[in-house]
Amino acid sequence: MLTFTIRRVLLFVPVLFAVLFITFTLGFYAPGDPLEIQFGQDFDPDPVILARLRALYGLDRPFYVQFGDYVWKLLHGDMGKSIKPGPKREIWDKIKGAFPISAQLGAAAGVLLVLIAIPLGVIAAARQNTWVDYVIVTGAIAASSIHVIVLAPGLMVLFVLVLGIMDVPVGWEGLFSTNAIIPVMILVITGMLGPVRLTRASVLEIIRQNYVRTARAKGLIERKVVTRHMIKNALTPVLTQTGLTLAGLITGTFFVERIFAIPGFAGMGIAAFQSRDYPVILATTMIGATIIIIANLLVDLGYGMMDPRVRIS
Amino acid sequence: MSEQAASTSGIEDFEFVKQRSLWADALERLIRNRTAMFGLLICTVIIFIAIFGSVLAPKDYLRTNISNIAGGPSTENWLGTDLVGRDVLSRLMHAARTAVFAAGITVVLGNIIGITAGALAGYMRGLVDDLIMRITDILFSFPDFLFAAFLSASLRTPVVKMLGQLKQKTGWEFLEQTIFLDYMILFGALAMVNWSGTARLVRGQILSLREQDFVRAEIALGMPTTLIIRKHLIPNSIAPVVVGISSGIGGILLLESSLSFLGLGIQPPAASWGDMINTALPLWRQFPWLVLLPGGTLAIAVFGFNYLGDGINDALNPRQIQR
Repeated sequence: MLTFTIRRVLLFVPVLFAVLFITFTLGFYAPGDPLEIQFGQDFDPDPVILARLRALYGLDRPFYVQFGDYVWKLLHGDMGKSIKPGPKREIWDKIKGAFPISAQLGAAAGVLLVLIAIPLGVIAAARQNTWVDYVIVTGAIAASSIHVIVLAPGLMVLFVLVLGIMDVPVGWEGLFSTNAIIPVMILVITGMLGPVRLTRASVLEIIRQNYVRTARAKGLIERKVVTRHMIKNALTPVLTQTGLTLAGLITGTFFVERIFAIPGFAGMGIAAFQSRDYPVILATTMIGATIIIIANLLVDLGYGMMDPRVRIS
Repeated sequence: MSEQAASTSGIEDFEFVKQRSLWADALERLIRNRTAMFGLLICTVIIFIAIFGSVLAPKDYLRTNISNIAGGPSTENWLGTDLVGRDVLSRLMHAARTAVFAAGITVVLGNIIGITAGALAGYMRGLVDDLIMRITDILFSFPDFLFAAFLSASLRTPVVKMLGQLKQKTGWEFLEQTIFLDYMILFGALAMVNWSGTARLVRGQILSLREQDFVRAEIALGMPTTLIIRKHLIPNSIAPVVVGISSGIGGILLLESSLSFLGLGIQPPAASWGDMINTALPLWRQFPWLVLLPGGTLAIAVFGFNYLGDGINDALNPRQIQR
């Protein structure tokens, strides 16, 4: 287990470095000079001033120097500044403000997902091929087929125009406000399919296992068969996979945050994309990737801990 | 002579039972699955519209009409008009083309890369395997939506340059059409994001098949490697790939409309459901149907592909067959 862990952790660094390198390269060769973007389309500068500005931002240096410099600063905890003019330019400050919001949204949705999706998956498996099963599975597929950009206006039309029970939810006033209801709801609905399907498949697989048949055959009461032999084995992959779901929820809330104008981390990434603010894009992609890599690592370690077969291969 | 030899060897005598392949079995199960057939119906309609939409569309999807902006349904415009007076139904039909072509070409490109890479990794093992798997590790680490957005933004300049040169050499006019260019860049970006999953799937499948008793038995019996690959490895690893493809199409439709929604995919005036939603979203209070029509169409299309994909998964997954 220790060598397995060490090997996994050691892989973390080169993968992160590669992600950084690819993102930086894409940003470097992407269209749109950062200065032009900052000054707008009618930018017709004095070449001397332009050259001095480029030197000021270090944009006149060759690719590898800029990359090296970026990595060096990053290692010292400096993520650089946003090129968009504004009061808060330090990217780290922006992220410090934005990340907790996304994390709260993601965590709330994640908890609700686990509480709703896992029981639904177990029920679907227990009643396999009955109408209950069909309703749950088809319902989950249907729910996950609706894009956030469809569901968000749809729910707004429903709640605001038709039912009239709330105002247009815009902005962020903490997790426990009415504004957070629709965003969290959307995350739960669209994220339902994965956990439901996984739980169902995993329980179905266990039901057919020989040791479950043996447990029944030797006369164990049904409750014990379920609790001792089935749930524990069936939920291992589900729970470990939940880590990934959570990572996806935190980094994948772009649309929810953009549509509801929530000043979160993912929305910040999208805003940066639309204004070609490359330092911010780099930082958000990096952090997003780090979260996903860590979640993957934890899932792998979780599997390794629960299932010895994984460690050997 | 050879006929005689064949009949005397008596091989045909053993073929009493009509053999049914995995695929024939799966097809039968699929046809019995009602939701999957419903999905298939939706998919067929959408694909039909995607191919023949330009002929079927009642109006020119690009023609604006300032005297009828955001008009409701009428005999003139069956589903009303959008914010610059274009016929919504015709735009929806053209957007179907965008979506289906995006999904189709992305799937083909992504799977060619993915299957080749996965088969190479699984079969060659060693250094090649390590290399390919590390690349997929890296690709998996990107939030996939961000990566697709980034790629489609960054690829534009080099691709435009490259196609410009190609046009000078060949004189093909279509290379300079922006719509064609958008398609190319979008499909490229989506395929780049999508191949790694298939690669992992195929590799895992081939690796685990190699260790299965029936493959070992064939090796022990002296079956030639090429025959093992053809008879056992390929047929047995194709099923999960088919499942992967069919359940992935819905996701690609969503990804395409996401990119277009953010203005990073198909550029106006070309039609895309995502872009239609995006332009109408600020005015959802006044004209909710302009958001809900493309939104509903997108949802139905994704439903269709997801139901079909789910049915194919059930049909090809013998472990979950009801008994």
